[in-house]
Amino acid sequence: MRKFFVRLDSTLARLYRVSGYLAAMCLIAIGLLVAANIVTRMLSMYIPGLTEYSGYAMAASSFLALAYTFQNKGHIRVELIISHLSTSKRWYAEFWCLAVASVTTVYLAFYLVKLVYLSWKFEEYSEGADAILLWKPQAFVMVGSIILAICIVHNFVKFLVERLRLKV
Amino acid sequence: MEQFTLIVVFLFVLFFLLGSGIWIAISLIGVATVGMLLFTDRPVGDAMVTTIWGGASSWTLTALPLFIWMGEILFRTKLSENLFKGLSPLLWRLPGGLLHVNIAGCTVFAAISGSSAATVATVGKMSIPELKARKYPDRMIIGTLAGAGTLGLLIPPSITLIIYGVTVNESIAKLFIAGILPGIMLALLFMGYVTVWGVITKHRETGQSALKIGQFKDVLQLIPVVLLIVGVMSSIYTGVATATEAAVLGVIGALILSALQGSLNRETFIASLLGATRMSAMIAFILAGSTFLSLTMGFTGLPRSLAEWIAELALSPWMLIFALLVFYIVLGCFLDGISSVVLTMAVIEPLARSAGFDMIWFGIFLMIAVEMAQITPPVGFNLFVLQDMTGKDMAFIARAAAPMFMLMIVAVGILLVFPEIATYLPNAMSN
Repeated sequence: MRKFFVRLDSTLARLYRVSGYLAAMCLIAIGLLVAANIVTRMLSMYIPGLTEYSGYAMAASSFLALAYTFQNKGHIRVELIISHLSTSKRWYAEFWCLAVASVTTVYLAFYLVKLVYLSWKFEEYSEGADAILLWKPQAFVMVGSIILAICIVHNFVKFLVERLRLKV
Repeated sequence: MEQFTLIVVFLFVLFFLLGSGIWIAISLIGVATVGMLLFTDRPVGDAMVTTIWGGASSWTLTALPLFIWMGEILFRTKLSENLFKGLSPLLWRLPGGLLHVNIAGCTVFAAISGSSAATVATVGKMSIPELKARKYPDRMIIGTLAGAGTLGLLIPPSITLIIYGVTVNESIAKLFIAGILPGIMLALLFMGYVTVWGVITKHRETGQSALKIGQFKDVLQLIPVVLLIVGVMSSIYTGVATATEAAVLGVIGALILSALQGSLNRETFIASLLGATRMSAMIAFILAGSTFLSLTMGFTGLPRSLAEWIAELALSPWMLIFALLVFYIVLGCFLDGISSVVLTMAVIEPLARSAGFDMIWFGIFLMIAVEMAQITPPVGFNLFVLQDMTGKDMAFIARAAAPMFMLMIVAVGILLVFPEIATYLPNAMSN
């Protein structure tokens, strides 16, 4: 059983890293799309939807990197108060933070799933020049938010387990 | 009256979530959700994701990761060394000597990086040991770095200005161009202060010692960087490129520059890319939370009643700007620059517009206010960076930065009297 959890832990860590790498590729994609925009304009060509695509790549990059950034302690928080707490009080504070974060991110992921489902069901198209089915770019954001929710719940569980083990 | 109670509850939840250490982006989503529940009967979750999707996939935002990436690439080159070597032979003759290198170095670095902490770290890495070895007082070394480091927010490309532009829907290109002259003005104020200090204390650098750092030929090494900056800025100014397109040009230029210096390899490329990915994800998440919070703020009626209340008080622009300055400095005691901007804009934007401020000018004022907060304890990011680099305590660093703080107040005063310093270039641009 223990072995299983250790393996799960490292598998999840790999998941966050991989989605971070995907996000980095989306960042390169933004650069390429914008560069394509410059080049086609110089050649007086017009490819519809390039700006929309770069917006989608931006959204995908941001959301796919959320869990990876969280693992790397990249998300900022106000530490002014909690950094002055004693170890035991600090534990309660961290408990509170992770609990609220778990609820919020699961809630966010749930509604993003619903958004994508509705876009897919009603076949919503983008209003921009790209005119693609909206659920496609939205799916990246949804996947990123799901991975973030998994990551934070994972951290919360790990945090609780470590505490319990200390007590035993 | 009931509305008032709700607003108090709402603000309490906001400060409680933020203060208890919950990640800022998540706090914003949480508060906005609570606010929607308090003030409307709308389906909260659906409104949340629609707003977040709209904000996150906005094209204007794409300038953000690209400019961050450009800075990350250049941060990993020999730029800090080159800046120090190249600027010393130019500046050592001035009274105050090599302290000017701190200020000029930060100014140049600010023009390629949008972050003030990175600016302080890069310039300080070289200059702190060299200046210490030459017996410059710690107070002056740290003070000039802390002050000039904040130029990262004002001199384009500035991450915080992009965030401001996206939040209040103003042209990022114009904001960038507007930041140039005030940035240079502030740098000159800092240099003026160092010069006066140099004259009074008769602190002079000897050529022998200064030229050990860099010869005149080292000045040539600055040319590629200067070309990069001028290229990116002029492409925006002339309207050849949008801010986002200029950012791509900047990334390409930074890669070429880094390759020419021999700093570009697989490792630095990946490190810069991943660094930029994390940083922009962090900021984009905060922005996503804040667009949702802005939606909620609209329902609370808080922005409108505040704007009306301020209008009733009939404050002079001077009083209003002073009040806002104090407000942002106090806020900066808890929050970093980007968070203070996104958190307050939903309320402050209608106020500033109804008071008749030019929003481009206001953005520049806001950058200076946020910069000032960066060098005020207890939370000042530039102070933290300097604390790490020098091992001095916070109180000492904050005292060293105090004269720079005063100079920034002077800068705000000058901007109020001569708003054209900020507005001339962007207005000339549109014609």
